Amino acid sequence: MNDVDLAPTNEILSKYPADARHLVSVLQDIQLAYRYLPRQALEKVAETLGVPLAKVFGVATFYKAFTLTPRGKRVLRVCTGTACHIRGAPLLLTELQKRLNIKPGETTEDLEFSLEVVNCVGACALAPVVVVNDTAHGNLTVSRVRRLLSTKEKASSSNQEEEN
Amino acid sequence: METVRYESAEGFARHVNDLRRSAFASQRRVLVCCGTGCLAGGAQQVAIEMDKQLSALPAAKRTELNLVMKKTGCHGFCEKGPLVVLMPEGTFYKGVKPKDVADIVHRTIANGEVLEHLLYVEPKTGERVARYGDIDFYAKQMRVAMRNIGHIDPASIDDYLLRGGYASMVKALTTMSPEDVLVEIEKAKLRGRGGGGFDAGRKWRSAKKAMGDRRYVICNGDEGDPGAFMDRSIMEGDPHGVIEGMIIGAYAVGSHDGFIYVRQEYPLAVEHLRKAIDDARGRGLLGKNILGTGFDFDIEIARGGGAFVCGESSALMRSVEGKVGEPRAKYVHATEKGLFDQPTVLNNVETWVNVPRIIEKGADWFTSLGTDRSKGTKAFALTGKVKNTGLVEVEMGTTLREIIWGPGGGMIDDGPKGKFKAVQTGGPSGGCVPESLLDLPCDFDSLTEVGSMMGSGGMIVMDHSTCMVDVARYFLSFLTDESCGKCVPCREGLLQMYGIVSRICEGQGKLEDLEQIESLSQTIVVGSLCALGKSGPNPVLSTLKYFRDEYLAHIQDKRCPAGVCKALITYKVNHDACDGCGACLRSCVSQAISGTIRKGETFQIDEMKCDRCGACATVCKRAAIAAA
Amino acid sequence: MAFHMTINGRRVDANAGETVLATARRHGIPIPTLCHHEAVEPFGSCRLCMVEVTKAAWKGWKGLMTACLYPSAPDLIIETDSPRVRQVRKTVLDLLLARCPDADVIRKLASEYGVEQTSFVPREHPDKCILCGLCVRVCETAATAAISTVQRGHHREVGTPWGGPPPDCIGCLACAHVCPTGHIQYSEAGGVRKIWEREFKLVRCKETGKTLPITEEQAAFLAKRQGMDPSYFTMSEEAQRTRTATTLGKIARWDKLGLVQEEVKS
Repeated sequence: MNDVDLAPTNEILSKYPADARHLVSVLQDIQLAYRYLPRQALEKVAETLGVPLAKVFGVATFYKAFTLTPRGKRVLRVCTGTACHIRGAPLLLTELQKRLNIKPGETTEDLEFSLEVVNCVGACALAPVVVVNDTAHGNLTVSRVRRLLSTKEKASSSNQEEEN
Repeated sequence: METVRYESAEGFARHVNDLRRSAFASQRRVLVCCGTGCLAGGAQQVAIEMDKQLSALPAAKRTELNLVMKKTGCHGFCEKGPLVVLMPEGTFYKGVKPKDVADIVHRTIANGEVLEHLLYVEPKTGERVARYGDIDFYAKQMRVAMRNIGHIDPASIDDYLLRGGYASMVKALTTMSPEDVLVEIEKAKLRGRGGGGFDAGRKWRSAKKAMGDRRYVICNGDEGDPGAFMDRSIMEGDPHGVIEGMIIGAYAVGSHDGFIYVRQEYPLAVEHLRKAIDDARGRGLLGKNILGTGFDFDIEIARGGGAFVCGESSALMRSVEGKVGEPRAKYVHATEKGLFDQPTVLNNVETWVNVPRIIEKGADWFTSLGTDRSKGTKAFALTGKVKNTGLVEVEMGTTLREIIWGPGGGMIDDGPKGKFKAVQTGGPSGGCVPESLLDLPCDFDSLTEVGSMMGSGGMIVMDHSTCMVDVARYFLSFLTDESCGKCVPCREGLLQMYGIVSRICEGQGKLEDLEQIESLSQTIVVGSLCALGKSGPNPVLSTLKYFRDEYLAHIQDKRCPAGVCKALITYKVNHDACDGCGACLRSCVSQAISGTIRKGETFQIDEMKCDRCGACATVCKRAAIAAA
Repeated sequence: MAFHMTINGRRVDANAGETVLATARRHGIPIPTLCHHEAVEPFGSCRLCMVEVTKAAWKGWKGLMTACLYPSAPDLIIETDSPRVRQVRKTVLDLLLARCPDADVIRKLASEYGVEQTSFVPREHPDKCILCGLCVRVCETAATAAISTVQRGHHREVGTPWGGPPPDCIGCLACAHVCPTGHIQYSEAGGVRKIWEREFKLVRCKETGKTLPITEEQAAFLAKRQGMDPSYFTMSEEAQRTRTATTLGKIARWDKLGLVQEEVKS
């Protein structure tokens, strides 16, 4: 097990009073910084906030926002809200699963992509929607969704122009 | 933006007056919608291009035009986005692409010429409509909670001030006592907009009377119902509206600490709220000694962790406390022991944003709108198989039919499967309403009486291509995923129910299953700890009530009338129509299609390998593949 | 402050701050529970203790509430065994039987409500954990919060940090003792206790050589929490009695009071 650089963790902890009530916020910042919740980081959090490690672990596994294993550079979240569901979200999910060879909740071996299903992201009028990191892509079809896997970094915005 | 700080009500009034007379206020505006929906459609590029084109105009022209571009929050017409609206004329352009911007700037803005191809076409008449106010979708709405969205730049507190922002707060804090404010809200009969419909005045009164050292006010921005995005738009597009409402409420109940809980999936809302809070603090509208009145109040943002159950008020409070979002029994109300065991008022985003309006125009104005027991207006997120999907705010009591065929523009598909079948209201706690009940008024009580509920405002229109058993299965899948798992009836009961309905969808249902669903539901409804469990059976029960024959078709005939449940449909090639082009073979991801690409040859689908994705039927130009 | 309520038609006295469950039990009226224990705060998760509650002012409306949490109040009318209540209990036990078909306590209770076999689909690879949460709550209250519930919904389970031996566990066995189904297993042999994949050395009394039923970590924990000398927890009962007797003996010698005080101090 590699040693985790705790500098980001310490920096995050210094921004909050050492109070148990900040646990969820601290974990969110750590998830953002490391793309997952490393054990060593959580041990430090437990110690600093005065929360038993088991409780920290319980919170970490309760909320979907957190992962215990690293997420990919690009996280593809297929919205499975009702509007998206009736407009074909299951097909998009199947396609992405086949292309990336991973199941929802998993990450590709090269840590490029993670696939997840999420609840309604509130862009229902553009169903079906897939969110790549923080950007929502709407009106997708099976062929359009393949473009989200493009290796070019600018995949997100330029694709929108082509499609629209 | 100037850094001014208001030390008194007079200082505030003076500044707003100055603003009104300033050049800032007199500018014409180009509103580019940058809500999450339009951003997904490419609005960012449109905004960048618009800025570029406007800046490229010669200085003299720019002064003459006296124009400013505003990136606004969600207009609520997401499907037609990206949207650009020119004010004050109200010229409304839809589906704007970056390549259209040059024309908009040089032909419309500079020359007053309307670009026909960018205009919205009214589905009923087929006519193009140039002005925002003439479009049925907007004209048939009454926007109270959503009054500012789309008209202001949410990052500009001055925009908000120019629309009368914070005037109600000033009125409350400087000319009314906390009791006066509370009485006004009680008179207005404002009921919570998050789904519970509990009388807000009553809630505030209980919290005010309760014993405790500190009182908290919370804004529930966890909007978890799939298909609902009203609160997202309000938080993104009118963050000050929420803040102002909370300050007034805090004043009324004697609270000095507020929280806005925003679900994890709404990062833009968090960003806009943070900016708004910072700006309000900077101006002295939040923080210590607001406007020199001696009243202290500040707001902290708490982010959700991706858990639908945290929309339940007691679970939300645990989450703010840094714990897992497990609800607790509410025999002792949150107004007595809520957040950190202190008296707490928790209300929904839309509820809070109504408060300043009530203080401004009075309770009598509010009670003049709506029905006997449901006052005011309600924002709905209308989605699914309607022509105009988006956010619709109408007076309480407007019927489902009026909403769907009014602003909604009617059903989207003219074919035989496009006929109206049902409208799902209230999210996973609600139910499906059939055609026979379309004339029901939308209010807190009418929909509940028929087995659904208005809920937070999600309204999903379904046609005959939707399978109602699949809808029930979908909601059960959602709920079993989101259940916190604390109590047996919800955790084990909904899981078993999901199993039963799934088996029905897979052609393994038995008649006894329907009885079991009904009896199990009874226990789940009365035995669950919280509303997620208690209302969990609603989608199954309501679809069973109004679409029982569809369940029977699945069970007895092993048939899915809507053609959705994969195990019950088979794709077949019609050999007479097939021309051997092979498009289907290329589209198949499961290698289930075989055949040689040549004219006269026909293709076969292997039922065992086929995963019923329907791609082949979609690509076939001869309509030779259909589901049976 | 006392007042009166009616339980199953019987007028009983109740106290402010009591729950309906406590009041009922005090009067010998049985209400089944699974997730309740005197050592911890009530949780309300098993739903077995649901009772029908009404008041004259409620005009016939009856609510189903968990007795373990519902506060006793003046003029409440409670039914602990109505058909509606029995139906809920029956279904809850039926569901628990599907979850834990081998848990004897569930089998027995379910049988009392007429459920011999579950009418639902049994869990694949079932264990005996009914997720009552008692182990977690007791560990939090009486020990070190070394275990917790992890994940949520039907994936919820009682677990340890990263699924491994919990670092904070002191081997006190409180969790095993409160577990209603015997799901939590432990073993003891040769002065070593094993639980949650951890091994603990049991304390040996230095004076008598006897093995005590507490672990070294437990002794240290108790000493710290009670602010007492650790030696108190690492002596066998025999050795303790001897020490106490010696001390008392010294105190009893009145004529040597001054000396005694010195000796006792030492």
